[in-house]
Amino acid sequence: MVEIEIFTKNGFKDSRGEHVLSAIAGLGIKGATKVDYAPLYIIGGDISQTEAMTIASELLSDKITEKFEISSKPQSGKSKNSVIEVLYKKGVTDTVAESVVKAIKDLGITKEVKVKTGRKYYIYGNCSQVILDKIAVKLLANALVQEYKIK
Amino acid sequence: MKNKTNCKIIEILNLSDKELIELSAKNVLSLSLDEMKAAQDYFKKLKRNPTDVEMETIAQTWSEHCKHKTLTGIIEYTEEKGSKKIKRTYNNLLKETVFKAAVELNKKWCLSVFKDNAGVIEFDSKNGVAFKVETHNHPSALEPYGGSATGIGGVIRDILGVGLGAKPLANTDVFCFGNPDTKPSQVPKGMHHPKRIAKGVVAGVRDYGNRMGIPTVNGSVYFDDGYMTNPLVYCGAMGIIPKDKIEKKVNSGDLILIVGGRTGRDGIHGATFSSIRLNQESDVNAVQIGNPIVEKKVLDAMLKARDLNLYRAVTDCGAGGLSSAIGELGEKTGVIVYLDKVPLKYDGLCPWEIWISEAQERMVFAVPPKNKKKIVELFEKENVEAVFVGEFTKDKKLTLKYDGGVAASMDMSFLHDGIPKPTRLAVCKIKEEKVQKPVKMNSSDLSKALKAALSDLNVCSKEWIVRQYDHEVQGQTIVKPLHGANIEVSGPGDAAVIFPYTAAKGTKKGIVLSNGLNPQYGKINTYKMAASAIEESLRNAAAVGADVEKMSVLDNFCWGDPDKPEILGSLVRAANACYDMSKAFEIPFISGKDSLHNEYSIGGKKYSIPPALLISAMGVIENAANTVTMPLKNEGNKIFILGVTRNELGGSVLAKIKNIKNGIVPAAYPKESKEIMKMIYKSINNGLIESCHDCSEGGLAVAVSEMAFAGDKGVKVDIDAIKTKGELTVAETLFSESNGRFAVEVRSENESKFKEIFKSCVFAAIGCVTEDKNVIFESVKNKIKVKEKSRNLLNAWRNTINW
Repeated sequence: MVEIEIFTKNGFKDSRGEHVLSAIAGLGIKGATKVDYAPLYIIGGDISQTEAMTIASELLSDKITEKFEISSKPQSGKSKNSVIEVLYKKGVTDTVAESVVKAIKDLGITKEVKVKTGRKYYIYGNCSQVILDKIAVKLLANALVQEYKIK
Repeated sequence: MKNKTNCKIIEILNLSDKELIELSAKNVLSLSLDEMKAAQDYFKKLKRNPTDVEMETIAQTWSEHCKHKTLTGIIEYTEEKGSKKIKRTYNNLLKETVFKAAVELNKKWCLSVFKDNAGVIEFDSKNGVAFKVETHNHPSALEPYGGSATGIGGVIRDILGVGLGAKPLANTDVFCFGNPDTKPSQVPKGMHHPKRIAKGVVAGVRDYGNRMGIPTVNGSVYFDDGYMTNPLVYCGAMGIIPKDKIEKKVNSGDLILIVGGRTGRDGIHGATFSSIRLNQESDVNAVQIGNPIVEKKVLDAMLKARDLNLYRAVTDCGAGGLSSAIGELGEKTGVIVYLDKVPLKYDGLCPWEIWISEAQERMVFAVPPKNKKKIVELFEKENVEAVFVGEFTKDKKLTLKYDGGVAASMDMSFLHDGIPKPTRLAVCKIKEEKVQKPVKMNSSDLSKALKAALSDLNVCSKEWIVRQYDHEVQGQTIVKPLHGANIEVSGPGDAAVIFPYTAAKGTKKGIVLSNGLNPQYGKINTYKMAASAIEESLRNAAAVGADVEKMSVLDNFCWGDPDKPEILGSLVRAANACYDMSKAFEIPFISGKDSLHNEYSIGGKKYSIPPALLISAMGVIENAANTVTMPLKNEGNKIFILGVTRNELGGSVLAKIKNIKNGIVPAAYPKESKEIMKMIYKSINNGLIESCHDCSEGGLAVAVSEMAFAGDKGVKVDIDAIKTKGELTVAETLFSESNGRFAVEVRSENESKFKEIFKSCVFAAIGCVTEDKNVIFESVKNKIKVKEKSRNLLNAWRNTINW
């Protein structure tokens, strides 16, 4: 299993992150100074590093404005920030994942893969666990269809 | 490994009344006692208990969403006015009001009215245009993004499912939300903040509409605390259809083909869910997930199949899933369906789940056996899954099979006509409206009020929302949602115009879309709210150049709990207004929909929505080039106000800002307004009007200011010249929301011709376009002068919603 995360390159606007930051302020929460948004693709199946590179660079990211990170093990998180990871609950149709599965085939990779999509929000500044929970529940994850993890 | 799942037998034959009610609640059937008893009686006759599939089928077929049982049921209506009481019994409210007007008007250009998935009117000698607006309120309250996305996806399928399929040309959307500035602590527990709902809903419509390649061209957003926990999400779609493809027919022996998305557990009980109020433990499975890419492929492939005449009938799978779609197509013939042939997203679904799942992006076709191979090949070529699951029979029965066994066997006549007609009471106590105390304001107060009105949530720019939608895709949108003389300014357009030159080659004609909605009026008087909404939708259309003789309208009622007589009474009054206005304007209703039970209870406290009637208007114009926009065009041109300004501040924006008690809600005067609308059409076609804008929320002060800042111009208005009925103060004249009024800009050289055309109407020259970019309203008589830079007014209008 590999996890591919897509980040906005420095110098380009991460409007999604900025929106989340302003929405956090709108909730009356102080302490968050910056939010980076990163779409997450978890690809299950016997995918090699080279294939993961191809998928990340050719399919999932925009070469001009985005960069990507591939990790085979989930990282423990960088110290300066907290991460809220939002995933669909089991049984909820993940339509983007369905498209990714088809597109991986179109790239010529014929191995059977399973894909899950998620969203990662890197939150910088001083936020307690309680505050992060509040941000996740009030803004980022709809408990009806999504679950979240704070790292 | 496939899980072995089979039907259960539901024990109902020997249940008491109490047990029947418990059974209905436990299985989320949303059937009343009378309905449960009707089912019990039917199975007593068959001398057996029903299967779970059969009970679910009955619940779905008889659901509020599919049968509209409140508005088609019996209503004992009492209207009290002072000591006078009028009683009337409606056997079918819709047939006796909205639909009756359409029948009586009997317009030849109405091609399909109230019988298919959408209403169809004539476009030209070869084509018709179809229009439908639906609501998706409850799903959007729970999951704003998925709820609104599947709302727009569903209404697009209505357009695909009208006749043999229309090609979608445009979408519309209208939302009602709670105040986005509500403090988070004031939002009831378990519900989303109104701003989160608003953002999610907008994102859902954006992502689905844009990905379908259909422009979202018209809409409005209304904010009121009454929609805090129960937002209203209206989604509309318009499409073009060849005249010879409007009728569908199902023959015995035709095969049933399911096309598009696979069936999963998503959206189970969506139809019966619409009959119940939201509560904190609302059913998780009612959430639907949309996939626009699949629907886009279905659209492209099915229109090819349509033009090759490969099928005889089609309908969409909406609420109630296959049960509703196949049940309706086979109502006259009978059907047999093999549930185990339905393609599934994953294993483990029970037969009843397969039958009523509301998984999205599915269409059902009736295919003559001779085309069996051809049609599947066509869909496969386009990468669309298409599977035969059964056939239409002759026995007038619904037969469902699963793994070789019979899962359901019921008579179509029982399913479709066996529902007992409930009788509901409706009461309306008509309160007399009183004129407010004269509203006197000095120049500086008026200036402040003007800016406050422009920045009011219900008047202000919705650019933040509008710009997220693609309103250009397909390249046929010629009058767009926002207008401005240059990139730095903008103003709100009144209506959208589509020029469908790709579908109707060589045409000069255009299609106008607009809407009218004002729940604020409905809090005081639902009759006037309905009349004003109809008038406003027509006025918006007329302002861009629509021909009022070729207009049609759709109704969408969103109301609270119909079991409360006062609430149902206010709905009856609104329906009566629809009949009266439809007849008076000679504008037929062609389709409609209702969403009741928009209530939410939490902690014992009930939150009920303010009644809302959305009127969506569609019209055809002869020459799409003869349309105008609202920004002022040239210095020196004259400004006219058409129509009479009455003392009507009830429910107005000014009343809200200044907390004015009392006030008369604007009434509609169809005879006056229709004449003005006809003359505007004539003037626009003679090139006599440079710009035109309707006066609604915020009155003519707001309308004229919007025209000025959108045109990056100034304007000087002589308040004393405005024609009023009776004595009005300056504030009342500027902010009254009387119906039937337009602000228009005319070149001086056209003035005499213009006046000649309008000689039978009330109108007045009230000012001119100026160079200095100031908006000035002046009354010498009252020593009032309001002067504001038009850029300042633009900023007041523009800065409220900037999320």
